[in-house]
Amino acid sequence: MKNILLLLRRQFLAYFRAPLGYAVIIVFLIISGFNFCRLLSQNAAESIQIGDILFGSAYFWLMFLVTIALITMPLFAEERHSGTIETLLTAPVTDLQVVLAKFAAAFAFIIAMLLPTLVYSVIIYMFHAEAGQLSFKPVVTGYFIVFLIGAFYTALGLLTSSLTGSMVVSAILCFIGMSITFLAENLQYALRNAWLERLLAQISSVQHIIDFSHGIVDSQAVVFYLSGTALFLYLAVKSIESRLWR
Amino acid sequence: MKDRRVIIKVKNLTKRFSSGTAVDGISFEARRGEMLGLLGPNGAGKTTTMRILAGYLAATDGSVQIDGLDVLERSHDVRKKIGYLPEHVPLYPEMRVDEYLQFRARLKDLSRRRLRARLDEVKSLCGLHQVSGRIIGRLSRGYHQRIGLADALINEPELLLLDEPTIGLDPNQIRAIRELVKTLGQKHTVVLSTHYLSEAEMLCERVLILNHGRIVASDSPAVLTGLLKNKNIIVAEIIGPHAEVSAALRGLSGARGVMVSSCVGAENNSAEEWNCYTLECDRDADLRSSVFAMAARRGWALRELKMEPRKLEDAFAEITGNVEMDLK
Repeated sequence: MKNILLLLRRQFLAYFRAPLGYAVIIVFLIISGFNFCRLLSQNAAESIQIGDILFGSAYFWLMFLVTIALITMPLFAEERHSGTIETLLTAPVTDLQVVLAKFAAAFAFIIAMLLPTLVYSVIIYMFHAEAGQLSFKPVVTGYFIVFLIGAFYTALGLLTSSLTGSMVVSAILCFIGMSITFLAENLQYALRNAWLERLLAQISSVQHIIDFSHGIVDSQAVVFYLSGTALFLYLAVKSIESRLWR
Repeated sequence: MKDRRVIIKVKNLTKRFSSGTAVDGISFEARRGEMLGLLGPNGAGKTTTMRILAGYLAATDGSVQIDGLDVLERSHDVRKKIGYLPEHVPLYPEMRVDEYLQFRARLKDLSRRRLRARLDEVKSLCGLHQVSGRIIGRLSRGYHQRIGLADALINEPELLLLDEPTIGLDPNQIRAIRELVKTLGQKHTVVLSTHYLSEAEMLCERVLILNHGRIVASDSPAVLTGLLKNKNIIVAEIIGPHAEVSAALRGLSGARGVMVSSCVGAENNSAEEWNCYTLECDRDADLRSSVFAMAARRGWALRELKMEPRKLEDAFAEITGNVEMDLK
């Protein structure tokens, strides 16, 4: 545990010692802020759906996915490129500890980036006329699915970063992987296979977001994201271990 | 009495990549306190061997034991016994020197109680006190090398693996790092990989010469240079008609050939200018007294007469078939 915390701290602080970390957070917050204002003004006259305002925008999710691709790309690709992977993996730490620490650091960065968006919920509750009638549940379940999807895609980004020494290649692979899963529902029309259609509908993030942001907790989705995260982390460990049998 | 037990035992070590065989069935041992050099041209298999010793790569075949422990099966225990400085010294440039060394020390299981004292020791040894608060990325390559060495030393390892520790440094930095490595050799077992012949000759008690993944020679630098060089070179600076001088030198018993060059540049035909004669002779023949007697007899002025010292680079060239080397 001590090693994981040490590695996590180093990786997390590294985000804030380069312009990338600040740039990603600032751009994400500016775009999500503008988007929040836009949705708020559009919904002002109608009956408000807090989950839709907070999590129902394509801009929010596009920025979220881009952010994940950017913050996961250096995790292993940069270490491999600079050679620090050699000193890291010859220290008395296990490959699993390294993978878990890097995952935790990137996930902690995502949490830190999302924390300021809690202000949006506070603004809605403070200033909306029907605030007393608003349910708090969609906010909680909405953030829950954001964190689940965040963990799932962070693990995917970690895996793609472990496969290459190029950060650009890692980011591209990660973004392709995320896009396929995120928009899986749209692919079913192209495939015309009943079994595949059902599978794609199950893994599509869009439907999960709609459900959770309306306060509906789908346990299948929870299991899917948690097991997917575990699978990607396992594959990342195997990818790092592959130096020993390649 | 100094402990001279075997600390590294490598048996039939082979490493094959998809691109070819990097290390081809090498076996060697190193004893505690020994400074062992791995010498060879680029692509000889030095770095791969170092990476396997450090546990970063696994062998395709064969076994490696450090202090009686298999590097893969007991990887965690072995890593605690090793200080490894990879080629090109990878560091985290955004960290400060002290912060980096503390991070590495904690990662290597150094207790908080021991940390402060050990940090002071390695910083003194590696000359890092004056830059301890500086950001690593803003320091020179020489300091990077020192930080890498400090990192390798921080957990007081029994074995130091130094892969090309002076590569890319300027002459002053090279001298400083060599002195430092020499000092480290008094307390630690050191395996030093280098393609600088002079470095191996200066620092190592024993040298393994690698070529195409195989050990082609293994002994002390003195023995290697003495045994493998089968000729002597004598250099003489003489004023005299150069054709006559060359013929006279060639006629000496044991001489094999003569090369002439001007002491200031190209060959000089004038009988009034100094020429430099390089006389190649048999291994057992020391023709200096004969050259002196001949010059005196003919009335030719002689101002320098010396036998070229045998160098490891000559031995290396003979062993590896004149592979190009950095002759620093």
